Order: sequence, then structure tokens, then C-alpha cells
Amino acid sequence: MRVILTIARKEVRDAVRGRWLLAFAATFAVIAIALALVQARAGDLGSQGFNRTTAGLINLCLLLVPLLALVLGTGAIAGERERGTLRTLMAQPLSVAELLIGKWIGLAIAVWTAIVLGFGVAGLVMTLVQPLTDVGHYALFILLSAVLASAMLSLGMLVSVFSEGRVKALAGAIVLWFVLVLLYDVGAIGLAMTVSSSGRALLLVVLGNPVEAVRILAVLSLEPDLQVLGPLGAYVTEEVGIRTGTWLLIGALVVWTVAPLAAAIQALGERDS
Amino acid sequence: MAFLTVSGVSKRYGDFTALDDVSFDLERGQVLALLGANGAGKSTLIKCLVGLMRFEGEITVDGVSVARHGRQTRNVIGYLAQNPALHPDLTVEETSAFYADLRGVPRSQARDLVAYVNLAEHAGQLVGALSGGMRQRLALAIALLGDPSLLIFDEPAAGLDIAARLELRALLHEQRERGTAVLLSTHWLEDVPYVADRALVLEHGRQRFLGPADAMSGPAGARARLYLRLAGEQLRAGNVVRSMLPEAEIEASGDWLVVLCHPAEKARVVEALVHAHFTILDLRVEEATMDIALLADSVADNTEAAAAAEGAASCA
Repeated sequence: MRVILTIARKEVRDAVRGRWLLAFAATFAVIAIALALVQARAGDLGSQGFNRTTAGLINLCLLLVPLLALVLGTGAIAGERERGTLRTLMAQPLSVAELLIGKWIGLAIAVWTAIVLGFGVAGLVMTLVQPLTDVGHYALFILLSAVLASAMLSLGMLVSVFSEGRVKALAGAIVLWFVLVLLYDVGAIGLAMTVSSSGRALLLVVLGNPVEAVRILAVLSLEPDLQVLGPLGAYVTEEVGIRTGTWLLIGALVVWTVAPLAAAIQALGERDS
Repeated sequence: MAFLTVSGVSKRYGDFTALDDVSFDLERGQVLALLGANGAGKSTLIKCLVGLMRFEGEITVDGVSVARHGRQTRNVIGYLAQNPALHPDLTVEETSAFYADLRGVPRSQARDLVAYVNLAEHAGQLVGALSGGMRQRLALAIALLGDPSLLIFDEPAAGLDIAARLELRALLHEQRERGTAVLLSTHWLEDVPYVADRALVLEHGRQRFLGPADAMSGPAGARARLYLRLAGEQLRAGNVVRSMLPEAEIEASGDWLVVLCHPAEKARVVEALVHAHFTILDLRVEEATMDIALLADSVADNTEAAAAAEGAASCA
């Protein structure tokens, strides 16, 4: 545990010192406040307006948070390898699991802090403009953003283990982000329908992408409207129900966080440093 | 049982064999010099010892397998890499504290070691701003954290000036006295008889020689060529050198006196000439180049001959 905490502490310190944590927090805050102000001008801010701001933020969050977390995750090992410090670290009495778990915890704390700080400040500003009653949904949105960041961080670290340098790792992160965030919906539905027209294939498609899982979870928690849910979300609610669907999606996100990290530990352990 | 045992260790990359069936052992309080040309397999062997590489064969440290319990064995190993890489955005103090925390060593020991390697004044300086020699010294301090029982130094003298090399010799001597087992990879052949008890010579991944370090000195060792431009009296200067080093090859050519001698004797030649009041106008040195194949064969022949002579004497 001592080793894990030492590595995690260093990651947090690097994040604070590198100022990216503050930069992302500020970006999140500015975007959230701008969105809220636009809706306030349209006379929409209020208990319902807060909900709409949250709904608007979800789409932004689904774009930005995966990108941030993937990029950070891919730098974790590839950066150390490129600098040669991976060898120095691995020559110490620590295991590959301790190294990667320590890095994951440190980076996760940093990303969670950026999310909570950014969207938290935005939430405070919004409540100052007009007292709000629907803060619970906003808090849930922040929590879901943090969960999504955790899963994408693990995926990024898996990419990182297989990348020789930071540039290749970054390229891998961008390709993965493009596939999961932009291409997945259309591509996966098409593939699922081509391979099998059964509902099980569609369910696998939903569970096979953490971004999609978070999107559906967020919409379900706000307003389970079939139009907003999209075809995959609508299928989940109709076939397995909201309650079972919610638990399935939460389970999928846990797997998406743990499995890539475990695979990264296994892969790095089998490679020469 | 020896503190470090290496049995039949091989490392292959597809068809290429980087290490081929290397075996040796190392006791506490012993220094083993690891010699070989570039690409001989020295760094590969060291990475296997530290557990940074997978390998065939068996390596144990204090009876514990490196392959199966790498974390445990690294607890007693201090490793100084050839080009040590440290996080450039941490200060000297933060770096030593970070590695002390990783090893579970009090930070006070890290501070003491930073002072020991003469970096106390630079404690607040970023590692990225340090010179190569300073980074090497910081890496040395990290390698010494926790008083490891086995020190593995990969080309520690590379990039060090003469004073630092002499300090390194003193450190090795001190560690040997403390009962630390030391494996030292080096290009500096002349250091070997002074710092090591035994020597292991690798060539193309194969073990060419394993025996006493003394075998690396004398006629078997590589030689340095010393060019001295003198203000006259080259012949008399040659006689002075010859009287001190009968085995040295000496040639006078114009203003120049050329002396071919053991690398460790270069300084003595200059000292003797200055002492005899010769004026040295210019000085050039061609360092000893190590022909490992030749060296290993020569050393092996000498060792066998010595053993045969010893055997004959004991029979008589």
C-alpha cells in the first residue's frame, strides 16, 4: 500500500504542478456557466432549466471527459518509457500492479478533482443567479462524469502499455476517442443488426462502450424520454426495464474500469522493461 | 550458498541470442567486474539480474529467485543504470524522497545520501537542470538507499571526471569492506585490478573468462599509448621510464617520446619525468582499447598456464 500511495501522490503532485488540472477545471466551469447563461437568456433557468442545463452538459461531458481521461491515461506508461524513468522505477522493489494501480489512483484523483472543481464552481455560480431545486440531478451528472473518466483512464493506460512513445500513445488515444465517442453508435448498431437481429446483440452493443453506457444512465436519471435516449437507450428501457437496465449499465462501467487496468497490469508484467 | 548465483542464463530475441548460458556467483564483500565490448551482453545480463527482463535459466539473490520474486530481490539490490533516467520536473530533494518512500527508507537517510554524493547544495534544484555528472551522483545516492546488500553498477564511470572516478573507487572499496556484494560493469580496464576481486568477460553474449581480477593486469591487459613532447633529451627520458617500467615499450621519435604501457601506469610515467626535471611541452594519450577476444584468450591461457605450473609444483 505504501508504494501505491507514494506513486499516487506523485501523480497528483505532477498534475497540480503541470497546471493541466486547473486548466481543465476552468474549461469545464466556463462551458457549464456559458451554457447556463444562454439558457437563462432564453428565460429557461429555474428548477426545470437547471435540468436542461444538465442535459446539455451531458453531451459536452461525453465529448470532453473521455478525451481528457484517455490522453492522461495514455501518457502514464508511454511517457515514463520514453523518458527512461520506467526502467528506474521498475528497478525498485515494487510490482507492476503497484505501479499501475498507484498511477491510476493518482490520475483518477486529479481528473475527479478537475471535474468536481469545474462543474462544482459552475453549479455554485448558477445557484447564485437563481436558487435551484434540482441540485440532485446536477450532482449525479458530476458523479457520472467521474465514473466515465475512471473507465476511460483505464482504457488509456492499456493503450499506454502497448505504446513505445508519447506521440504514438496520443495517436492511439485520439483514435479510440473517435471510435467510442463519434463512430460507435452508427457502426455498432449497423454491425449488430447485420450479424444478428436479436435484442441480445443490441444489449451487448450498449454495454460494449462506456461512453454509451454513461449517456444512457445520465438520460435515464434525468428524463427517460425515448427521443433523448436514442435507439440503444430505448431498446434497453423497453426490453429489460429501467431498474435492471440501470444495474446492467453500472455493472458494465465497473467492468470497463477494472478489466482494462487488469489487462494493462498483465501486459506490462509480460514485457521487458 | 553464494549471495548471488547465476546459472545457465540465456536471453534470446527470436533468432538472436543476446546472452548464452552465462553462469557465475558472487559472495558478500566481493566485487565482480563485468567486462566486454559494446553489444557483448553486459547490460542485458544486468537487466536480467535486476528483474527488468525475462530470461531462461536461474538467478537467485540470497537464495530468492529473481524471476519468481523480483519485488523481494529488488529490496536488497541497489542498481545504478548506465544512463540513469530520473524525473526532470522533480527537485533533487523530491527525487531522493520519492525513491526513499518507494523503498520504505526514512527520508533522513535520503537527505544524508544526497549530502554524501555532494549534492546537498543543489537539493532544491530541478533534476532536469543538473549536469550529467550530477544526475549520475543523484542516481548513485538512490542506488545506495536502504543499504542494499547487492550493488549493481552499469558503467558507473561513464561521464565521470577523474576526481569522480577516484571517489567511485573509494566507494567501491568502502562497500566491499561493509560486506556488500558488488557487480560492476565497466569499460575501464585499468580500474579492474584496483577495484575488483574477480572478473567476468563476455563476448557476443558468451562467457569468455571468469577468474581473478588480477589477470586483467600485466601483459594480458590492454595498453595505453602515451605521446610526450619533450624539450630535448628524449633518449635519457626513455631510460628514466625504462628503469621504472621495464616491460614498457619505448620509442623516441623527433621531439616525441612514445611510451606503450599499462593504462594504470600513465600517471606514473609523467610523474617520474617531471620528478627528473624533464620539461613536458605536450602530452597526448591514446586510451587502451579493449580487444575482448584477444584479452579473454590471453587471460585464459595465462590462468591455465599458472594453474598447470601450480599443479606441477604441488606434484613435485
